[in-house]
Amino acid sequence: MITIQNLKKSFRTEEVETLALNSVNLKVEDGEFVAIMGPSGCGKSTLLNIIGMLDNPTEGNYNFAGNEVSGLKESQRTQLRKGNLGFVFQSFNLIDELTVFENVELPLIYLKMNKSERKQKVRAVLERMKIAHREKHFPQQLSGGQQQRVAISRAVVTNPKLILADEPTGNLDSKNGIEVMNLLTELNQEGTTIVMVTHSDRDSHYAHRVINLFDGQIVTESQNRAIGAMV
Amino acid sequence: MLKSYIQIAWRNLLKRKVFTGINIIGLAIGFGSSVLIYLFLSHHFSYDNFHANSERIYRVVTEGHRDVIGYDASVPPAFAKEFRTRYNYAEKVAKISNWDNNLINISNENTVAQVKEDAVFAEQDFFEIMSFPLKERTGNRTLDEPETAYLTERMAKKLFGTDNVLGKTFILENQETFEVIGVLKNIPKNSLITEEIFLSFVTLEKFGDFVAQDTWGGISDNLQCFVLLHPNQNVAAIENQILELPKEFRPDSKNKHIYKLQALSDIHFNARYGGIDPALFWIFGLIGFFLITIACINFINISAAQAFYRSKEIGIRKVLGGFRHHLFWQFLSETFVISLFALGLGIVLAVAFLPSFNNLFQIQLAFEDLLNAKFLIFTLLILVLVSLLSGSYPGILMSRIIPVLALKGKLTHNDTGGKTTRKVLVIAQFTISIILIVATVIISRQINYAVNSDLGFDKESLVMLPIPADLERVQLNSLKERISQISGVQSITACLSSPGGADNDWGTSIKFNNRPENEEFSIQAKLGDVDFLNTFDLSLVSGRNFFENDSVTEILVNEKLAEKLGISASEELLGKQIAMNGGGIQGTIVGVVKNFHNYNFTEGISPIFIADYHSWYSELGIKISEGNTAHVLAQIGEEWSETFKGYVYEYRFLDDRVARQYENEQRYLSLSKVFSALAIFIGCLGLYGLILFFVGQRTKEIGIRKVLGSNVGNILALFTADFFKLILIAGVIATPLAWYFMEQWLQGYTYRTEIPWWAFVLAIVSIMGITLVTISYQTLKVAIANPIKSLRTE
Repeated sequence: MITIQNLKKSFRTEEVETLALNSVNLKVEDGEFVAIMGPSGCGKSTLLNIIGMLDNPTEGNYNFAGNEVSGLKESQRTQLRKGNLGFVFQSFNLIDELTVFENVELPLIYLKMNKSERKQKVRAVLERMKIAHREKHFPQQLSGGQQQRVAISRAVVTNPKLILADEPTGNLDSKNGIEVMNLLTELNQEGTTIVMVTHSDRDSHYAHRVINLFDGQIVTESQNRAIGAMV
Repeated sequence: MLKSYIQIAWRNLLKRKVFTGINIIGLAIGFGSSVLIYLFLSHHFSYDNFHANSERIYRVVTEGHRDVIGYDASVPPAFAKEFRTRYNYAEKVAKISNWDNNLINISNENTVAQVKEDAVFAEQDFFEIMSFPLKERTGNRTLDEPETAYLTERMAKKLFGTDNVLGKTFILENQETFEVIGVLKNIPKNSLITEEIFLSFVTLEKFGDFVAQDTWGGISDNLQCFVLLHPNQNVAAIENQILELPKEFRPDSKNKHIYKLQALSDIHFNARYGGIDPALFWIFGLIGFFLITIACINFINISAAQAFYRSKEIGIRKVLGGFRHHLFWQFLSETFVISLFALGLGIVLAVAFLPSFNNLFQIQLAFEDLLNAKFLIFTLLILVLVSLLSGSYPGILMSRIIPVLALKGKLTHNDTGGKTTRKVLVIAQFTISIILIVATVIISRQINYAVNSDLGFDKESLVMLPIPADLERVQLNSLKERISQISGVQSITACLSSPGGADNDWGTSIKFNNRPENEEFSIQAKLGDVDFLNTFDLSLVSGRNFFENDSVTEILVNEKLAEKLGISASEELLGKQIAMNGGGIQGTIVGVVKNFHNYNFTEGISPIFIADYHSWYSELGIKISEGNTAHVLAQIGEEWSETFKGYVYEYRFLDDRVARQYENEQRYLSLSKVFSALAIFIGCLGLYGLILFFVGQRTKEIGIRKVLGSNVGNILALFTADFFKLILIAGVIATPLAWYFMEQWLQGYTYRTEIPWWAFVLAIVSIMGITLVTISYQTLKVAIANPIKSLRTE
């Protein structure tokens, strides 16, 4: 699904150029669950943003499902992202002014899906995430765990090929964290590819493969033998 | 999608109530002003558009070429007959003569009601030219018949209290009885004809009026001549053809007439011929534009400043598949929702202030004037325009937000952009406000200058009293004698018109010292008796006053005549013969009076002669002592009513009459005051919104500064300094612009005030003061807060 070759990303200010990613090579197969780890500032989130097509690399190639992404314009990236990718963030990133239902519905609106189909899909995913009873509530009226479930609902409502999770349990207590990880594992078992950035060793154990980044480079890569051990 | 946009727009507006309020109020004032301006302009542009043949209707006007060109909305009385009989250009030709403020007596069984109304003497063909349809009439009778009248439905009801008025009679000026033979439908308010009483033109002869004669000898402003041309006539060719008329009928006159056909659609807008000053429309348009612009700037500034706070939402939308254009249109729909509310409130404000507006401009606009398709189109257009103007820039800014930064909370205020644009827009607002303040100061100064300058005559405590025409000298002197004995009356004169009240004046040719030819220039007639100089305190610079005589033998002139004749010493005029009015008035110059301002300050001083010509006198000028004015006026009223039974006692103060010469200026002043205040108010709303934003943005900085020892004054200075810099830049831009506009305006005055440097300083300092007051509350609130609290905002 994902092939990254010699990927570099640098940030330039007036005086300093910082190399956030340095010659990264990575392959992610369909149905994989990959965790990216590393200390703060090592380039994890930058890599995830590039994989999520929110940012362009400075150099190198990035191929997503047969499409070369590097060098695409913002509108082309948005087009490719729509329906193919789902995002789960540490801080949930729900829109405060929209209800639970409306937040989950939003990606479907941008996909120009008709109203009845949208309604059906949103209801189904909310039921599955066990949050349907809160569909008319606004994000501020929910607990952190509930908010993350809404965020996951929003990420999966379009049946994306890939879910990108950026420290999905970072703002949750352990009980809610486990619940969220179980949900992601469930989705992965149903065939959705997942790339997750995490600081948590415990969370990384849910992944098939763990990649360690340091100073913008992949330093180690390990297969996780204990897949599902925590499930 | 649209529903989602509007839904989120609504929730956002509710969430940010203060900013929403600021935007709605600012835009509502802008919209309200635009609605009033729309009503005003559409009323004026609809003038006389209801006549069936409006494109073929013309008024014949005169250019009088002497040493200067004069413009009269009239022609010599004989013109109409000649045009009608000699040429075949017109289907109909008709004269009308407007008479203002006529005394009308209506006998009703045992009572006699007296009213003062304007009326028009009109030839019957006038109703064939214009579309003023009759509702009913007596048989086939028309105004061709002497002593007949048409009334409008409204006037019929007003005079007689009933709709059934055919056959009823009334007396005009205690002289002629008119029979009502027709009732006209009410005249639309957008008509150049405002009178509602129409009298047969042939009856004018009985009043001995000049315009009733078939003469080429002069022009009276009272007369207008309308023509309905045959279809497809060449107006230029007609004007060329009628050049022969003055050559034939006025071969010797120094006042070379050129007759022009003025299209009906031009009459209302041609200031030269008494129409409305087109400058007013420009000023209105500009003010409307200014107010809407200031309100839009508020909107843009506040929204652009808020882009930062909405960056998370925008980031999420982008991540979820929202394109830039989705976000742009989303923001535009929010703007549309706000604008829609503002428009509704604006219309309510406009309707609420309509009576004051009508009062200021002496018009009768009504709410009903808004209930039409044109207004709907106007509101839709302005709504879309304002939404686009206000929403586009913030929309672009927001759609540009980089989602990665927004979602990570790494976005800074600089990343949302628009800082420079915001400064430019604030400068634009300040510039407009400074220009408006300077305009207010200058207009006010010019009016004060005109009203308080020495006009060369006394206008204080002077009462002007109209008297019936054609009084015998004995009657006049007897009345003057009785009034002068009233305690408090200092002096009294009978005259045609007072100095500074040129309504009744007329200009005429002058032949000086038996020269073979008339002079190139005209001279204004100022007729008054021996007490004229004394009552109005006119100064003699040489010679003496004239003595009373039954006919004119001695004449006074002003210094300007000497100047026009090229005579350096006014004494040289004494003893010289002058003849005016084709020799109708002639005599010896016995005195020269100091120049005085007979017209308002837009015009220069003309040559004037003063002669004792009692049969022309139309009013008394009475100088009364200050204090106890009401009692003196009551006593004068008793004497007056005793003498003129059947007439209405009414008076006017001369200083009011002089001030009335500046009615337009007073309107401009009111306009500039009201709209400056509105512009400043809307601007302040915007400033308040911005300071709320800035204070929020710099709370942490303020905390750190306070911890490091900064005091309240330093913090206040921190915020005000930025704004003051912008005000100074605005001052630099506004000064030459305001100077240019006001210099242009003042150039319309022969006698004018200068533009003082302090007007600009005053405007800039005022704006600084207002800004300081506006931003103080929010700034002080944060400046005096505990710094720990400020730092916790992190």
